[in-house]
Amino acid sequence: MRLHPLTALAAAGSTALITTAAACWPLSVAVGATAVGLSVVAGTARRMLPAAAAVVIPLGVSLLLLHGLFFPEGATVLASWGPARVTAEGLQFGAERTAQLSAAVLAMLLFSFSVSVPDLVAALSSRGVKGRFAFVLASTLTLVPAISARVQRIRQAQEARGLLIRRGWAHRVAAFRLQAVPLVLSLVDDAGTRAQALEARGFSSPGPRTSYREVPDPPLQRVLRLVLLLAAAAAVAARLVFPTAGA
Amino acid sequence: MSSPSLTLPPHTPATARNRRLLEILGALAIAGTYIYLVLNQPADITGGPGSAAALIALSGFLVGAVLLIVAVLPTLPVSTLVLIPVALVLNIVLGQFVGSTLVPFYLDAIGTVLIAVLAGPAAGAATGALSSIVWSFFNPTVLPFAAGAALIGCLAGLAARYGLFRRFYLVPVAGFVTGIIGGVVSAPVAAFVFGGTSGLATGAIVSAFRSMGDSLLAAITKQALISDPMDKAIVFTLVALLVYALPRRTRLQFPFVRRHRVLAGQAAQPGNDELPGNAGPATPSTGQGS
Repeated sequence: MRLHPLTALAAAGSTALITTAAACWPLSVAVGATAVGLSVVAGTARRMLPAAAAVVIPLGVSLLLLHGLFFPEGATVLASWGPARVTAEGLQFGAERTAQLSAAVLAMLLFSFSVSVPDLVAALSSRGVKGRFAFVLASTLTLVPAISARVQRIRQAQEARGLLIRRGWAHRVAAFRLQAVPLVLSLVDDAGTRAQALEARGFSSPGPRTSYREVPDPPLQRVLRLVLLLAAAAAVAARLVFPTAGA
Repeated sequence: MSSPSLTLPPHTPATARNRRLLEILGALAIAGTYIYLVLNQPADITGGPGSAAALIALSGFLVGAVLLIVAVLPTLPVSTLVLIPVALVLNIVLGQFVGSTLVPFYLDAIGTVLIAVLAGPAAGAATGALSSIVWSFFNPTVLPFAAGAALIGCLAGLAARYGLFRRFYLVPVAGFVTGIIGGVVSAPVAAFVFGGTSGLATGAIVSAFRSMGDSLLAAITKQALISDPMDKAIVFTLVALLVYALPRRTRLQFPFVRRHRVLAGQAAQPGNDELPGNAGPATPSTGQGS
């Protein structure tokens, strides 16, 4: 069964919320491992794992150093050098937070690396707020490679004209300006042309639209989405009513 | 390029009122969440699972940001809407690069501030919130900061609206003040949702304050008060350099720039080629060949 993009989004979002609400490290580890397993099955692990590592590793190192070394609330001191005290409570807090955040990050990244962006855009309706949001999302994702190619071209052109990045802040700011001004200028100019083209094709007209791309949305998945959202809301409500349960 | 449509019905007063209501609700959600978190200082940050505060911070700020987007996005002219993806790419590319280096700055708001200066506070707020939401596609940890990013965009737009971008020396001051406000509002997110900061350099500053016995929220707020004002002063200055260097034809395309004379503009005296206010920094760029 192919998942509708909104069902996948609801699954990822409610998993992240429920894991945060549960704040229980075995669950966090299980969710993270499941997300990695699913990405291996779906064949996206090769792209997803580096992206996840780029997010999770700095965060985890930062949290473990911060709470592992400096945790004034900790009582069980394992070691201390000068002002730094390694406490069991600090390490536990850092590790729990890292596990919890990694689970949420992996669940969300599993969604964004497995969803087909054209399907997602087609699933959001093509007018009103959702249509405009879909435009911003799709346009950003397609602009990233185009803009990095343009940055490359501008740098080559300026280097051909003698741009040399020397040491020192003044030189760096000057070099930034020499490259950023043509980039922003051409991007703003392009955007103006694009706005006229979109406007000429009735982008902001309120009437009904025809889409060539049909994304099947079986009734079972609609029910599933509703159940997932209700489960997430219930988990949040339960945590707010019993703030210290499971501590 | 952004003339009102001749063929489409104008917004009715009822829809305008609904949008205004959504904007106010969004702002109230953000302000209410912040006040609740700071007044109650949930004691469970460092003891217990600490997830009630995380959920309140997450949902309150996110709901506020989404309400702002829903209120503002349909009212933006298409000429501004097509600029938002450009701003998002600038934010993401620069932010991803700086965030991973050992500098306690973020520089992830250049595109947001650029839109705010060219198109006003509402567009700036929507761009900030959208930037966090779209960026979370690659990096889900920026999602909770959507409200802070919207606030930065809104404040940058207000600074432009009241003429702080007309004088080059006022720009870093405006950035500094914006950074103080934005940093103080974003600190509870870092403290309650993440229990720390996501960068290594910012984490080192928080550690320094924690070693002096500060609570986590106090340490992160102090770190934000060190990093954010400097960061936003740099961002505002870079954006000012960019918009001063844009040719007149390009910047006067934007009704917001014309109406409020954001750059000591020319709308009042047409036919005059020299800009009186920013002649110094706005020397013609030599580097426009691309």
